[in-house]
Amino acid sequence: MLAAACWAEVLRAQNSQSDQLIWFNPADAAEIKAIAAQIIPDDNTPGATTAGVIWFIDRSLAGFDQDKRELYKRGLAETQVKRAELFPGSASIAALTNEQQIALLKAIEKSDFFQQVRLHTILGFFGQPVGTKFVGVDHQMHYEPPFGYYDAEVSK
Amino acid sequence: MSMAQFRPTDTVDFIVAGIGAAGGVMAKELSTAGFSVVALEQGPWRHEKDFKHDEVSVMFRAGLTNDPKKQVNTFRKTPDEPAKQQQAVEYGCMVGGGSVHFTTNYWRFHPEDFHERSVLGPIPGADLRDWPITYDDLEPYYTKAEWDLGISGLGGSNPFDGFRSKPYPLPPMPVKSSGVLFERGAKKLGLHPFPAPLAVISQQYRGRPACVHCGYCEAFGCEVGAKSSTLAALIPAAVRTGKCEIRPNSYVRKIETGKDGRVTGAIYFDTDGREVFQRAKAVVVCANGAETPRLLLMSKSNTFPQGLGNANGNVGKYLMFDNGGLAIGLFEHPLNEYKSVVVTRVLHDYYRSDPKRGFYGGGGIDGRFDYYPAGCALAGMPPDGPQWGSEWKRDLGQYYTRLGGALAHASSLAVEQNSISLDPRVKDVWGLPAMRVTFKNHPDDLKAADFLMERQKEILLAAGAKKVWADEGTLGEVTYSRHLMGSCRMGDDPKISVVNKWNRVHDVPNLFLVDGSSLVTCARQQPTATIQALAYRLADHLQKASKRGDYC
Repeated sequence: MLAAACWAEVLRAQNSQSDQLIWFNPADAAEIKAIAAQIIPDDNTPGATTAGVIWFIDRSLAGFDQDKRELYKRGLAETQVKRAELFPGSASIAALTNEQQIALLKAIEKSDFFQQVRLHTILGFFGQPVGTKFVGVDHQMHYEPPFGYYDAEVSK
Repeated sequence: MSMAQFRPTDTVDFIVAGIGAAGGVMAKELSTAGFSVVALEQGPWRHEKDFKHDEVSVMFRAGLTNDPKKQVNTFRKTPDEPAKQQQAVEYGCMVGGGSVHFTTNYWRFHPEDFHERSVLGPIPGADLRDWPITYDDLEPYYTKAEWDLGISGLGGSNPFDGFRSKPYPLPPMPVKSSGVLFERGAKKLGLHPFPAPLAVISQQYRGRPACVHCGYCEAFGCEVGAKSSTLAALIPAAVRTGKCEIRPNSYVRKIETGKDGRVTGAIYFDTDGREVFQRAKAVVVCANGAETPRLLLMSKSNTFPQGLGNANGNVGKYLMFDNGGLAIGLFEHPLNEYKSVVVTRVLHDYYRSDPKRGFYGGGGIDGRFDYYPAGCALAGMPPDGPQWGSEWKRDLGQYYTRLGGALAHASSLAVEQNSISLDPRVKDVWGLPAMRVTFKNHPDDLKAADFLMERQKEILLAAGAKKVWADEGTLGEVTYSRHLMGSCRMGDDPKISVVNKWNRVHDVPNLFLVDGSSLVTCARQQPTATIQALAYRLADHLQKASKRGDYC
């Protein structure tokens, strides 16, 4: 129910001119957005960016996941340290090249921070039709057998 | 007829504390028999229109279950460790309880499950006991439950089942691709798969519509009332008697007793957080295998300084958890497991404990793929591959509809130190002592789960899977359970049990417990049919005893 309420807000934000972030400042939002875009890339099919996952994360931290704020703050700061160490002179995660972003995230993929951003990105993406469609779910309220290839095969 | 309304000062015949799988049966049976009943439920009263196909809120935000931020619990593996705040138990938190959101596997226990101790002897490091009742004592009530609730299945198709006096009231659900493949693989291996008995109606039944195969079954509430929860199948009938009042959002904090040692009623927090004392002649606690012992431990008084039923220190002990791993298989063609019920084929070939294996226990295995899309993305993909990024995304897109699997439902031994107790430091949001869970698997539990995992993989490979893997998060020591069993177990000897064979607390004549807490052994998981059969048996006993004038 909370997520449903949260999505209503996301849609409002996406559809309005005054799409204000509630929790993130714009700079941090750009960084998290870049990480989410590596987790579920927009390639030949929609990914985290098209799906507006950053809005889901922003509203989660503003709402039902307030207890994850500290993890985001600390985790992002640590990731910036790692970025500067791996790519001296770089300005931000978002400004890294694609290969550099992947290398940075591989270096932190076991961390609680990365796992949390991965969880939020997956929930934000698969919590809406763009995600379920992507995995082949044609969502209806009512199906009739046969459901799949193998039960169709035996029902012939 | 409109729902009955009682005043707290009315002494009703029964309070039912917790109206889930067992409490729903008690409320319906007792009110139908003419008793006045007040059912107190800590969760809300939701209806079909309130349920949604929303994986995020239901699966990840405790939409239908206890909220670890409110119903706080602490966890430790052994008593010598400090207990940390970490969710360890999950239960349905609403009118209908776990029967609303369960996967609907509806297995009877096998006759041998009631006297394994006599067959196998003692198990070192565990306290395996016989039940004080037999399968034959319970058989009429399994049948009653199946017909009252509406269970779909094919009686006689499981060669390892005990005697049954009637077939299932409804034919099995249509087989899914996971069931076809499971059956194909199992038969190649000489095993005996059978159509899953499920608490879902395959055809219209007693005014409820048949399943529409929407696919949001496990963990979700049914939007058409085809899942045979107590919410859909029994509670409306209880309300119609005009003898039963359901009070949702009512959180019982204490069972009150008088100086004579008899229960006088229950104290609860109502919707507005006000404390209310409801009087009753008797109380039936059906709050599940974790909350029932906690409530007894919180019900301390001068007469019962250790809590109710706890004179011998048994309340909360011998807790058993849900054990068994998930094997996943990738197949060539789409199975589309996102449609319809979760399970359509099961086998019990490895159920019985076989001393030749070198460990106690075994399990049933069912054919299923256990993940909705977000869950699959999080934990369902091959562990030897990437878990994010473009390659992972591409595979996930191709795999999701082509994944099948097999889930084990494995034994969990009763061990004394595995328990529910009151945390001495941490409080819940009502200011009551938080539940403290202590649990560490007996080594044989893990051996049984590992043994079964190899069998699960064999079945999937025999079915033609291109690749199989174990969902690693489901193996190893269990620290989280949805099946909460054995914490106030049944027995003839008050020194080692909490309730007698009629589910009456040994030293409190008008207090009854019926839910997972009564289970002496957990058989091979899937406790709902047995919990409900025990409830029908208790309700029948109370009616007969009442006619003799001595129900409590």
